[in-house]
Amino acid sequence: MVNKLIKEDTKMFLTGNEVLAYAANSAEAEFMYGYPITPQNEIMHTWCKLLPKTEAGFLQTEDEISAGFSTIGGILAGKRAFTATAGPGNVIMQDAQSMAEMMRIPFVCAVMQRGGPSTATVIYAQQETRLTCFGGNGEGFRIVYSTAGHQDLYDYMIKAFNTAWKYRFPTYILADGYQGKMREPVTLYDPASRGITMVPTERFLLADGEIGVDRKSAHLRNTYNMEDELMEVLEGYKADYEKMSEEVQEWEEYKAEDAEILVIAHGIVARSARTAIDELREKGIKAGLFRPITIRPLAVKPLREAVQRAKRILFTESANGQLAQMVLEKLYGLTTPYDTLFKMGVGVTGDDIVNKVESMALAVNRG
Amino acid sequence: MARTKIVLAGEGGQGVQSVAKILVEAGYEAGKQVLYIPNFGVEQRGGVSIAFCQIADETIGEPRFSKGNIVIMLSDRAIDRCATYVDENSIVVYDTSVCTKKPEVKCKEIIGVDANKIANEKLSARVFNIIILGVLLAATNVLKLDDIKNAMEKALGKKFDAKPELRDLNYQALEMGMEMVSNSGVAV
Repeated sequence: MVNKLIKEDTKMFLTGNEVLAYAANSAEAEFMYGYPITPQNEIMHTWCKLLPKTEAGFLQTEDEISAGFSTIGGILAGKRAFTATAGPGNVIMQDAQSMAEMMRIPFVCAVMQRGGPSTATVIYAQQETRLTCFGGNGEGFRIVYSTAGHQDLYDYMIKAFNTAWKYRFPTYILADGYQGKMREPVTLYDPASRGITMVPTERFLLADGEIGVDRKSAHLRNTYNMEDELMEVLEGYKADYEKMSEEVQEWEEYKAEDAEILVIAHGIVARSARTAIDELREKGIKAGLFRPITIRPLAVKPLREAVQRAKRILFTESANGQLAQMVLEKLYGLTTPYDTLFKMGVGVTGDDIVNKVESMALAVNRG
Repeated sequence: MARTKIVLAGEGGQGVQSVAKILVEAGYEAGKQVLYIPNFGVEQRGGVSIAFCQIADETIGEPRFSKGNIVIMLSDRAIDRCATYVDENSIVVYDTSVCTKKPEVKCKEIIGVDANKIANEKLSARVFNIIILGVLLAATNVLKLDDIKNAMEKALGKKFDAKPELRDLNYQALEMGMEMVSNSGVAV
């Protein structure tokens, strides 16, 4: 067990990376494995700075391939371990993330997106959306929370550990360089004070008791000899994933009930959309927001309902439509027209969205 | 004003991010909503360094904004990079003793200050950024001098304790910066 630092509600003025380190501690994480890459470094730095008090562990590996596999190793050894990465680091960690998917390892990873492809910028983007949801040579049996600021980072990092350990699918916090580096007020708390019970950490291997008497054998497989043997296992995973989806899916609607123009955005861009929507409403334009919080799995039913109510949709992202692509697939059969505002690797401001929606409103009014 | 949006830009090493940190810390301690994004590149020194700060009474939505209420440009390259953040409601401040040109922008007011020259001649080159902090404090007009002094104490208190004359030097710099705005005759 580690020492938890946050025992009562504590308002602090932190960067997002610092928030994530505190959240992992509040979620009773015992070990972090990682390799430096901007803009996630301060998660590791803060985690390490807190080590004398938390008595948790840290290992800096030689690269992200190793950080990913070491995290799996730590979990197999019975520790509540996690990692964090970004950009090209997220790319090369996919091998380990696929293994976690295959072996149903409660792998928790914070992704602080930076510009891509390749090294690109160290600053900000939403260009790892598809990678984080569907990276690796698998089917995307993953849970991805897209956060929109520091309170989200704290709340969902705690939740990510519970989701991962309950359902045994790799679980991600998908944030970005802005959230990692920016500073804003946040309230840290002990999860118990919010009625949150942490799912206990269990030993995967070498658990107590006699095999066949007290417990079943742990038989974690990453390799299959027969094609149909693999499919049988994956069909089971798929059924588990679909059953779980209803329970974990989360979304937020803002003034979407009577919205004629519905903005669909995730993460920090959704926050700019809120600013824009307030301004647009003052100008008499009925705009609203649908923000998927779990971008994998998507909350399909409420999404379709919100889209059906609207006259026109706007997809906006700091990427070239990575979320839009996932959403459009789920909107099959609906005919609501849509527009796009995509800024690859660049922040979307409230003004950007206001200008775009104003031009859309003219089209809507013309019928 | 419910929300003040500030762009502070200069060369890497001019202390732009340090000033931004003190400013938002002061805002946070004063019970305001604040949000600060450092614009960071791969370089450790050199290149244009930009800080995006917001101070508001209500919860802040967008982390990055299009146009600033106050845009401070502390080098020629900062002028080039930051013209895009200026509109007809912006107050633009630039340092006449660093920049070799005047920003050519359509804005509400433009204030030229000679912070670098004053720092070198009358105080110390090291408090150049604190003069700018004084300029910011006067130009934004949403925080009190005491808020800033408290935040400076938090950031620099250990240095002040070791060398008490540094505290006076920094306070002088702060006041000189504030005077530069009031002497400009521009109503903020």
